[in-house]
Amino acid sequence: MALSLTVNGEHRSLDIEGDTPLLWVLRDELGLKGTKFGCGVGLCGACTVHLNGQPVRSCSTLLESAAGGEVTTIEGLAEGGQLHALQEAWIAEGVPQCGYCQSGQIMSAAHLLATNPAPARDDIVAAMTGNLCRCGTYSRIIAAVESVAGSSSMENSLAYDAAAARELS
Amino acid sequence: MAMNRRDFLKVSAGTSGSLMLSLSLPGCSGMQTGYTQETGEWKPDAWLEITDNDEIHFTLARVEMGQGVYTGLTTLIAEELEVDPGAITPRFAPVAPEYRNPFYKLQLTGGSTSIATSWEPLRTAGASARQMLILAAARVWQVDATECSARQGRVIHPNGLDSMRYGQLVELASKEVIRGDIALKPASKWKYIGNQAGKLDARAKSTGTAVYGIDVELPGMVYGVVSRPPRYGARVQAFNDSEVRAMPGVLDVFEIERGVAIVADKYWRARKAQDVLKAEWDNADALSLSTDEVFASYRRAAGEDPGESERSEGDYDAAAGAAGKIFEAEYSQPYLAHSTLEPMNATAWYRDNSIEVWAPTQAPDLGRIAAARVTDLAPGDVTINTTFLGGGFGRRLTQDYIEEAAAVAYRVKKPVKIIWSREEDTQHDLYRPAMLHRMQAGLDGNQLTGWHHQIVGPQLLDWYVRNAAPAQYPWAPKFMYDTLGKVGLLAEGIATPKDMSAIEGAIEYPYNVGNIDIRHTHTDPGVPVTFWRSVGYSHNGFAVETFMDELAHETGEDPYQFRRKLLTGQPRHLEVLDRAVRLAGWDTPVVEGRGRGIALFKSFGTFVAQVVEAGVENGTIKVYKVACAVDCGQVVNPRIVEDQIEGGIIFGLTAALYGEITFENGQVKQSNFHDYPLMRQYELPEVTVDIVQSTEAPTGVGEPGVPPVIPALGNALFALTGKRQRSLPLKADA
Repeated sequence: MALSLTVNGEHRSLDIEGDTPLLWVLRDELGLKGTKFGCGVGLCGACTVHLNGQPVRSCSTLLESAAGGEVTTIEGLAEGGQLHALQEAWIAEGVPQCGYCQSGQIMSAAHLLATNPAPARDDIVAAMTGNLCRCGTYSRIIAAVESVAGSSSMENSLAYDAAAARELS
Repeated sequence: MAMNRRDFLKVSAGTSGSLMLSLSLPGCSGMQTGYTQETGEWKPDAWLEITDNDEIHFTLARVEMGQGVYTGLTTLIAEELEVDPGAITPRFAPVAPEYRNPFYKLQLTGGSTSIATSWEPLRTAGASARQMLILAAARVWQVDATECSARQGRVIHPNGLDSMRYGQLVELASKEVIRGDIALKPASKWKYIGNQAGKLDARAKSTGTAVYGIDVELPGMVYGVVSRPPRYGARVQAFNDSEVRAMPGVLDVFEIERGVAIVADKYWRARKAQDVLKAEWDNADALSLSTDEVFASYRRAAGEDPGESERSEGDYDAAAGAAGKIFEAEYSQPYLAHSTLEPMNATAWYRDNSIEVWAPTQAPDLGRIAAARVTDLAPGDVTINTTFLGGGFGRRLTQDYIEEAAAVAYRVKKPVKIIWSREEDTQHDLYRPAMLHRMQAGLDGNQLTGWHHQIVGPQLLDWYVRNAAPAQYPWAPKFMYDTLGKVGLLAEGIATPKDMSAIEGAIEYPYNVGNIDIRHTHTDPGVPVTFWRSVGYSHNGFAVETFMDELAHETGEDPYQFRRKLLTGQPRHLEVLDRAVRLAGWDTPVVEGRGRGIALFKSFGTFVAQVVEAGVENGTIKVYKVACAVDCGQVVNPRIVEDQIEGGIIFGLTAALYGEITFENGQVKQSNFHDYPLMRQYELPEVTVDIVQSTEAPTGVGEPGVPPVIPALGNALFALTGKRQRSLPLKADA
């Protein structure tokens, strides 16, 4: 029996077992390789996508439980040919090292900013703590998220100033 | 190294009107190269190619695993070629002798060597190309070449108005001959070196478009999983073939040397079929030990064999006999997994008497040997396509995952991708070895008169030479592989480099002590081991710098001053030590409930000092701050240096706080991130990195951030609690 999903705005019909994790549907059935496999049990966050606006671990979300839903992956984050502000910030800040976890990191951050455009440092840390980075890009991630959060709040800039942050702490 | 720069440069015209430069790196003499003496021809493995439509292709002889060579090495070329680094398209090198790492004579990326070994040759390649383009333009314009200049991909006429694109000049340029040595730009003229901030791969890695090994897609590709024996060294005895075969999508089930392979049309179907696999293992040759026995065997070996002398100065025994006091301590470190976030994987396609492999590998020429081993092919029949690596840390120097993919592809004759699960990746790793250190010091009052360090544990080349030796002689017939491996070990220090993996960092003990005795007791319990970010420095750093801290406290001295006094004549050590201390405010009182610890360690030619501020909160260790000073010589990209050092600190802290792989009856106990945790965002300390501005030759930064942070944290906890921890990982309630 075919199951359907809307992925990055496109309707997709899938003739595959419903207990296939969404991750492998995205990667191998739909060719969206930007979403990564890291641990298979929702501990690392590399496979984070948005399902109906919520961040989920696609490695442990079965297709049948996502059926009929709307999925956004890293490939669908850009709008009208414009990269998401977070992607621009990631590039400007030079966040990625090996880069393997970064799709998941960006998807977690995108959900945070979609629900809280001006998060405090603690909010960012809390939202990003489920995403592991073995290379240790954590401080650049915070800086990148804060640079976007700051620009979205005109009267109260939250732009991260590393030097100032050090003075304060 | 003094040499004529022209010695390693070859120029040729490309097939379709392009300028191609090849490099023959120093240290490769006597080895097969792409150069044919008789015909004077080079095979087209160009390092640098400029096409007539201004495309600039640069072959990246080192792999990109997060350490930044994609940007760093490209910057070296760009600087001298007078183009923006972003105008250059790097591509990953195929296997060819030209791309060997001159430090190892193998085509591998490791040992924090990429910038150090490329610094001169790549700038020379860029400068040579620039010079030839200028000569060509001068010939066209009939002007003096010395009055022409190059800028942003163009040669500028002496009148300052006219210019020609590089692309217009490549055909003529390829016929130019450079006479005399090639002048490199003075540092004062650098535009990109020392300034370049962006990363050339950041866009691809922020949009999900960078291709890692796991992302390789081929027409008609099938998927494989391998069930490996729980105990290392066991062999397949039997398995329920027909039940597995009956599972949906399963195409084949068969035994390979490393376990039972299941091939299916889809990855998840292969995994589900694996759930019904019941394999019986022949454990006759399997590992059966538990971690406690490893350390017991080390202690036994240490007592029976004082070890080979690796450094001896003065007369330690006499100094110890005369010393007012002997101070002793024993340190130990556990096995550690690599946990690259991209699990091991490889894709292989056997067809037409050849095999093509796509893999995230740190050593493509060893991958070629691995694939040849398990097929009917010779290394020359194996093509390795290297992808981006989702982390390396030394794990991907060993080619077991390529060996598996090749073995499966040889049987199925279709493109097949093998992906390891996280559990498989954790339990079938080759580990950072567990090590034991026996330290002894002679003290006369406050004076340190003797230093004795006995390192106990395995050497990594014992495990690595199996594929590394044949990779150095790829024309050798396969039946020779095992012999080459054995010869490689027997001739260690003669035909092959001395194995430094157990002793590095210990033998470079920098402190001025009159009597030094450093030994290695070589003992190997049979657990598979390999290189792990910072290798021997990772465990020697903890032993040496913790013991130094103990001695400081023993003599009642400040740990910073104690070290400082013993570093006369070591200006670079002193500089980073002083800087870290200033950065951390060492002399200011520490916040209540916190302790500060210091450590200084040079590795891979780079000097690093760190001060850690830590405490214990709610029963767990909390790291608040890490102040770090680093001297890596000339900095090519300050942003990448900072990233690598900070990343190394987090890698080291992860090991210090959590890292421990244990064995029970030959089986690894840990399996995934719940029982082998990595440091998370909420645990991130405030890290400050101070980089020394230097004109010394550049040295590596991928690893040197790791070793000192482990003892610095232990020393901070001691400062807080007064209890010394001599084994890792560190405990909050020690």
